[in-house]
Amino acid sequence: MSANTLTIARRIINQLIRDRRTIALVVIVPLVIASLIGVSVPDKSILDYTAPAMLAFLILFFGFLLTGISVLRERTQGTMERLMASPVSRLDIVGGYLLGFLLFALIQTLIIFFYMVYVLKINYYGELWQILVFQVLIGIGAVCLGTFFSVLAKNEFQMVQFIPLIIIPQLFLCGVLWPVSQMPDYLQWLANCLPLTYGVDGMRAMMLQGQGLLDIGKEIGVLAGYAVALLVLAALTLRRGVSG
Amino acid sequence: MTTPGNQVSGQAVEADRVSFNYSRLKVLEGLSFGVPRGISFGLLGPNGAGKTTLIRLLVGLLRPGAGTIRVLGQSPSPRVAHLIGYMPQLPSLYAELSIIQNVEFFARIYRLNDRDERKRRVEAVIKLVDMWEHRNDSVMRLSGGMKQRASLACAIVHNPPLLFLDEPTVGLDPELRVTFWDYFASLTRSGATLIISSHTMDDAAHCDRLAFMRDGRFVAQGTPAELRQATGHPEATLEDAFLYFIKQGKKDVG
Repeated sequence: MSANTLTIARRIINQLIRDRRTIALVVIVPLVIASLIGVSVPDKSILDYTAPAMLAFLILFFGFLLTGISVLRERTQGTMERLMASPVSRLDIVGGYLLGFLLFALIQTLIIFFYMVYVLKINYYGELWQILVFQVLIGIGAVCLGTFFSVLAKNEFQMVQFIPLIIIPQLFLCGVLWPVSQMPDYLQWLANCLPLTYGVDGMRAMMLQGQGLLDIGKEIGVLAGYAVALLVLAALTLRRGVSG
Repeated sequence: MTTPGNQVSGQAVEADRVSFNYSRLKVLEGLSFGVPRGISFGLLGPNGAGKTTLIRLLVGLLRPGAGTIRVLGQSPSPRVAHLIGYMPQLPSLYAELSIIQNVEFFARIYRLNDRDERKRRVEAVIKLVDMWEHRNDSVMRLSGGMKQRASLACAIVHNPPLLFLDEPTVGLDPELRVTFWDYFASLTRSGATLIISSHTMDDAAHCDRLAFMRDGRFVAQGTPAELRQATGHPEATLEDAFLYFIKQGKKDVG
């Protein structure tokens, strides 16, 4: 990891820390969403079954949103152009975003997880640290996804349109609300192409069946592959975003 | 202060028949020019003349559709970027961060790795733009002129031998404009080369050499005195000279 990557990550963290309203939203919004899920699900057993999938979905959603909007704002304010004219490489920039935003995505992840466990009293099996490591992996994927799509969007309005296009379909297709196996074959094929399917499967395997990281190698491999591919694509397309 | 202009030999900037299109729109057409080291070179022209596009080509943010560009003897790329300072037209600062955090960030990015040297340079440039008292203020709370000053500090913190300044005096009050030009003159005296875009003739008078731009072409190049004399009227201002060359078509008087 280069010094430039760390410098960019530190700057992003400083920026968000100084933006108190955003920090408040980073903490409060996940609590509101988790509470709504908790009070709206009528049966405790349904909540236990749904919670791992919702955790995976919320990590993806908040990571995508926070990163996507922040990176896009950097482009529209001209600071990205300034950075692209400096000696840093595109991989430094994308790597810096990944590190910086990952911290906040993880804070949100931990808030949701511990709220669900200690306030909503959901039951889970498996090692806590292994579940958290897997959540980190989903968070990395979410940040990479947000960075990549922010390069494709030219303004905030377009970026927000990516949420119903990229994130919401995964809520319906990836086994969060109903099992993938009950969907038509062509939708199952589509679900197998989407990263959240592997996030949901991995979380359920760990939290409901007590499996460990070694047991969900396929899910980890696919999510890591997605993250690396998106990171490289984001770095490759970054210049296009600047020259508009 | 070191004499950054002596770090590499040859012309600071060379462009040979450079053209650039945005889709089907011709923005720059067949620009050829050279900028010797240690001078201020003004790109003068109305909005839409292609000044910003040319600067973005020179700093490597865009690639020419045709022609070649050499900056400090190399093609514009990250390899040469640490020798270049770039002040975009927008202040382009991190609004949530303070001035000192912004300048420190760019100092690190531009390889000022020694902690003491970095601290010294950051303090020096913030004092230079007369913002030391406001160093801990968030950029979002600053006025337009203050943002311009902070932006300049970010561009010069690494003491680059070549500086691209895109409309650096826009939004400045007359007193601060004079301060900026005094500083630009001190930079060229120390060996640095400045490429400055502007659409005001007040700025043009301060430059060592000028290129008048219109519709993506150079209509004239030369020193301010040469351009005025070429009109044939001893009393001609640079504004008169600009209008004269627009009517005449392309001329190279230098």
